[in-house]
Amino acid sequence: MSNVALHGLNKSFGDLEVLDNVSLEIESGSFVSFIGPSGCGKTTLVRVVAGLEAASSGTVLVDGSPPAVARSHKRVGLVPQQPGLLPWRTVRANAHLLLDINRAANPPDAANPNTLLREVGLGDFMESYPHELSGGMQQRVALVRALSLHSPLLVMDEPFAALDEITRSEMRLLLNQLVEGRGVTVLFVTHNISEAVALSDRVIVCSPRPARVVADFNVDLPRPRARDIEDDSRFVELCAEARHALHGAMRP
Amino acid sequence: MTRRAFAPLVGIVVFVAVWEGFVRAFNVRPFILRAPSSAVNYLWKFRSDYLDAAWVTVQHSMLGLLFALLLAVAFGAVLASNRFLERAAQPILLLIQVVPWIAYVSSVVVWLGLGSAPALFMVTLVCLPAFVFASVDGMRSVEPATLELMSSVDASRLEVLTRVRLPSAAPLLFTTARFNVGLALAIAYYVEGANFSNEGIGNIGRSAAANNQADRLWASVFSIAVVGVVALLLLSLLERTVLHWHAAQRTENR
Repeated sequence: MSNVALHGLNKSFGDLEVLDNVSLEIESGSFVSFIGPSGCGKTTLVRVVAGLEAASSGTVLVDGSPPAVARSHKRVGLVPQQPGLLPWRTVRANAHLLLDINRAANPPDAANPNTLLREVGLGDFMESYPHELSGGMQQRVALVRALSLHSPLLVMDEPFAALDEITRSEMRLLLNQLVEGRGVTVLFVTHNISEAVALSDRVIVCSPRPARVVADFNVDLPRPRARDIEDDSRFVELCAEARHALHGAMRP
Repeated sequence: MTRRAFAPLVGIVVFVAVWEGFVRAFNVRPFILRAPSSAVNYLWKFRSDYLDAAWVTVQHSMLGLLFALLLAVAFGAVLASNRFLERAAQPILLLIQVVPWIAYVSSVVVWLGLGSAPALFMVTLVCLPAFVFASVDGMRSVEPATLELMSSVDASRLEVLTRVRLPSAAPLLFTTARFNVGLALAIAYYVEGANFSNEGIGNIGRSAAANNQADRLWASVFSIAVVGVVALLLLSLLERTVLHWHAAQRTENR
């Protein structure tokens, strides 16, 4: 179970300021979405947490240790925007990829990717190659690849952005099923408000670049999330709240 | 497979028939162009000599090619991760590529002496640059997202090389290998003829040319052609097996 703590985080690329004094405490096992205008720095924020980017100043702690330590213990499962499957590996081998690398750091309780593949409905496609799969299926393999590490923290950077609307809503449902009850902490970047609300326990709204936290609210919708959660009046209210915060942040 | 092989076979048969007909009809001087039938006859008569010679030439060309490939993968791994070294290596590789090997091969033969050494050295050297360029380009072609994924679990450089960079470079390396096969055979043939070590098809060809032996010369042309064609066939077979996942291998019956 992971606890992510950010204190006074700043990040700039040369003269370009991307993160402006971000401080956050993220509770173990919670699903937290970051929404904000595109290019605002929300992706950089989660990349810093995943240890893929160093902060310019401030501290980041994942379970009390710096991201580099979390990374070396394979405690961060990454789901990138593009599935990034290796074309020469079968679905099964792609799902095993992260377990095949840096084996010494594999957790003793690593999940069996084959079981997970069956769970996400890819049981009949284990020996297929990525080019034989649809975009949604490829992204499901990417999900399994990250979940197989049994890592306490999942970092997902707009993983459904390239999918069509129907596949997207299926993926939302699937993701909710997969993380509910697993106790995994999820940092989820998106620019889709209803996606953020449908999935999250907490939604954080970022300002345009450099990113600051302008709103931070809890999503008090019951879990497990129902298939028709988007018809719920509370869901609609929360989406409106998030939209107002976002529009407020966009105004100069 | 049978259907796929049919059209090329027709092409070969027509080519050989036209050649044979041309030589007979116009009574071409034997040394300029030999009819395929008489070259094949001669080849058959001295088949064990040519088989031994072909085996030597196969070793010179294919081992040289293999050394060049292995060196190129090692160089490629270093150069793909270091822009400075890549820029520094570029003029050397380009020089090897543009300076005609035939211009300095005699010196190499004098330097390395008799036997297989000069042939292997020359094949390796001259085939190296194209392989290195392919290896660097191929290893650089990996998606940034994939590299990021690898670094998210602290993959070592060696793991990134073997799991991601090398497979990504494989298609380009195969394409380059197909070009280099012809080059490797030409170099092996020439060097074998240059150092009087009495081995290899090149040696037979060279002494036949010097002694005006048309049949012997054209039989050596035929046997080096067979070596080349077989090498290319095996290479495409290997490519089809290893790269079955690659887009270029997927379209059947193109």
